[in-house]
Amino acid sequence: MTMVDPGNQTVAILGYGTAGVNAAIALRRAGFDGVIRVFSDTDILPYSPILTSYYAGGLKTYEECFPWSAEELAELSLEVVANSPVVELDPEAHVVRTAEGEFPYTKCVIATGATPVPVGFPPVEGDEAYKPIVLRTMENAERLKTAIEDPLCKRVLVSGASMVALKTLEACLYHGIECTLVGVNPHVLDMNALPEAAERFEKGLVEKGVTLRLGNRIASVKRIDDADGFQGRKLEVTFANGDVDTFDEISVSHGMKSNIEFVKEGSLEIDRALVVDDFMRTSNPDVYAAGDVAQGTELISGQKRIVGIWKNAALQGACAGRAIAAELAGEEPPADCALEGSIATNTIVVKGTLFISAGTMELSEGRWTEVRESDDMTVVYVFEDAGDGQRRLVGFNITCDHDDEGSVAFDTGAMLVMQIERGLRER
Amino acid sequence: MGFLERSDAYWKFAGQCAQCGHCTKACDSLTEAGMTLGEIAKALIDHDREAKDADDLRMRIAMDGSLTQAVRGCFFCTSCKNTCFAHNDVCDLIYNARVDFQNLGLIPRQDWSSVLVDEEWDIFKAYRAIHGIGYTDLTRHVETEDHEAETDFDVMFFPGCSLAAYGPELTREIFETFEELGVKATMLDSCCGSSLRSAGFFDRAEVLCDRNVEEIIQSGAKQLVCVCPGCANDMGKAVKRAGVEIETISLAKFLLAHGFEPKHPVPTGQLCISKSCQDRDGSYLADTCKLLGVDASVPTIFHGCCGAGGAVSAFQPDRQAQQADSKLSFASDGATVVTMCPTCTYTYAYRLMNAPRDITNKHYTELLFDSQFDWDMVFYQLNSMWYGEYGAWLAEVFA
Repeated sequence: MTMVDPGNQTVAILGYGTAGVNAAIALRRAGFDGVIRVFSDTDILPYSPILTSYYAGGLKTYEECFPWSAEELAELSLEVVANSPVVELDPEAHVVRTAEGEFPYTKCVIATGATPVPVGFPPVEGDEAYKPIVLRTMENAERLKTAIEDPLCKRVLVSGASMVALKTLEACLYHGIECTLVGVNPHVLDMNALPEAAERFEKGLVEKGVTLRLGNRIASVKRIDDADGFQGRKLEVTFANGDVDTFDEISVSHGMKSNIEFVKEGSLEIDRALVVDDFMRTSNPDVYAAGDVAQGTELISGQKRIVGIWKNAALQGACAGRAIAAELAGEEPPADCALEGSIATNTIVVKGTLFISAGTMELSEGRWTEVRESDDMTVVYVFEDAGDGQRRLVGFNITCDHDDEGSVAFDTGAMLVMQIERGLRER
Repeated sequence: MGFLERSDAYWKFAGQCAQCGHCTKACDSLTEAGMTLGEIAKALIDHDREAKDADDLRMRIAMDGSLTQAVRGCFFCTSCKNTCFAHNDVCDLIYNARVDFQNLGLIPRQDWSSVLVDEEWDIFKAYRAIHGIGYTDLTRHVETEDHEAETDFDVMFFPGCSLAAYGPELTREIFETFEELGVKATMLDSCCGSSLRSAGFFDRAEVLCDRNVEEIIQSGAKQLVCVCPGCANDMGKAVKRAGVEIETISLAKFLLAHGFEPKHPVPTGQLCISKSCQDRDGSYLADTCKLLGVDASVPTIFHGCCGAGGAVSAFQPDRQAQQADSKLSFASDGATVVTMCPTCTYTYAYRLMNAPRDITNKHYTELLFDSQFDWDMVFYQLNSMWYGEYGAWLAEVFA
């Protein structure tokens, strides 16, 4: 089946998440009145991945995880093709292919997000079909929630020390689960934290009863009976250092891949994801990308990188939408809609222990750290030589023993983000 | 759809808010309203969609107590933005909402009639006129009976409304320092328009700032030296809009760069620095600490609004006092509270007059110079002018 365009112009948005919704909003606000056809692999409304762990932990209801109501989205007059994963995007033919048929487009935004990949998780002896819990989608969150709400679930192993791993850990802690965290690096938050900040965070985790197995990894997993003889109730884990422990569930958060496998081979420039310019255009002028599938400019390194955070997905989606609307109106994309790049910013709270980071933690030549400790807070600054005896802030970590909203820690974080941005403007 | 002029701003915000709810917990007003920032945007969009006409929209919003609380109860302190995981820009949202509120007649005239700083009379001009506070001798870029207009100044000094009105001696002493440091200076005793913005007159505030920039250009000054971080922010944006090569800097930074030596030692005992909420990136705080010769990690620094921001006092008079109390609670008895913005100094002084505590309240310039604010006199004069020979006139002008 081939869908015939009712009008001359159709924008296809692949993916119905933050980036996709913001692209649609920007298109409509810029006056685009053609067809916006959105392809989704589910039939649920766009949700906030930030809130999935809150849902699993019982801090948010299912309904609260959806930032936009059906009525609000209806105002965008979208044609949503639900439960219809994209099988192929053929940029040359300007066609999106799904199991339901072919859908032509004038311009396309790829905003399909990313999928967790449990890299390195071994097959489970005695239960080859077992897949560890991951956390990304509402479906993932449902599984986690169901698992940790089970009264028989007492102990969970969280593998990985990333932001997502810690969010999983937090959800478990809210259900009174005894948690162990295993990570290959010597500290948690290895991509985001420098040792001094990580150590304070680790101290906070230990105080909450979390067992840390850092510098370690899962070597093998075996399905075993529990002490009461319930068959296959437990998962026996052997760690790389030879230690053995048993758990009721295992969650893995140490791998993520962009969802771009449907892009026709060789049709678009792909590095780790789709390489985009400041208007989110890929190597094909009629295909845009936004969110976790896009490698835009990371401002501190100046390199094309995936900055996989909510705000970036929203901004990139909006940028793509505005640029497309302009082009379809026969104009150049307005300069003020260009997204010159972004910096990574992250905030995480695990039951009261707060961690904020922004910028880079890469300590290359000409960069150094300074640490400021107070009773309740550790701040690690990453500076680089700005020449003329000046220094420039390019990154920071804040770990605080409490997470009071509106506190000095949050204000300091926001202040330092602005200092990084100011430094980049002056660079 | 379409009665709200600023709906693009709301849609942008609605798209960017993840609805995590942290902003609500960071702000008393949002807590009272029970709304997130995204919900404010969405409520505006929803009312706009459902309204039959502008009158209907005005009624819908007027009946929405939560939305009114959220929009009018904002200090613009950015505590919510700072707590937001995405650092979504609350000021952009609320300023736009205030403009629409003003256009719809949702902000009563008595809430802003005395702070229309682009009109002939506002509360500061009236206070100065009644009490004989003027600076025509210092505004040297403007021709007067006593001097010709000059156009070759190095610096334009911008004291801001509160300092110029309530601290005339301090203003003059700071001005004289420019000369002592070998810098040719003139002064602009105008306003940055922040009260206009708070009242929802965004465009008028920009026009006022642009007019100020024209004066600065005419003066030939290459530097605009501001005392208040808020003035510097707004005037800095206007300078940028004009595309001229004028550097906007804080007084602290200027004094540091010119090797200024404080005229007093810094007080001993606990020093509490009230970081101005307008000092978004902390650069004014850093320069102020440096100028005072204190390590920024040593004093107690409290963040957030003093209670004067966003004209909240016109909407909820009690919240100004509550906010001031919450900030002053960081200072123990005997401490010196050091402010960066003269309006914060005023607000704390007013609060301490009504609820006395053993706290010394000083603008940082008072620690550097000999002249001091005389708050007892200021509050007496502010109060008495409504009852003296000018009382009837004031009541009429600010009706």
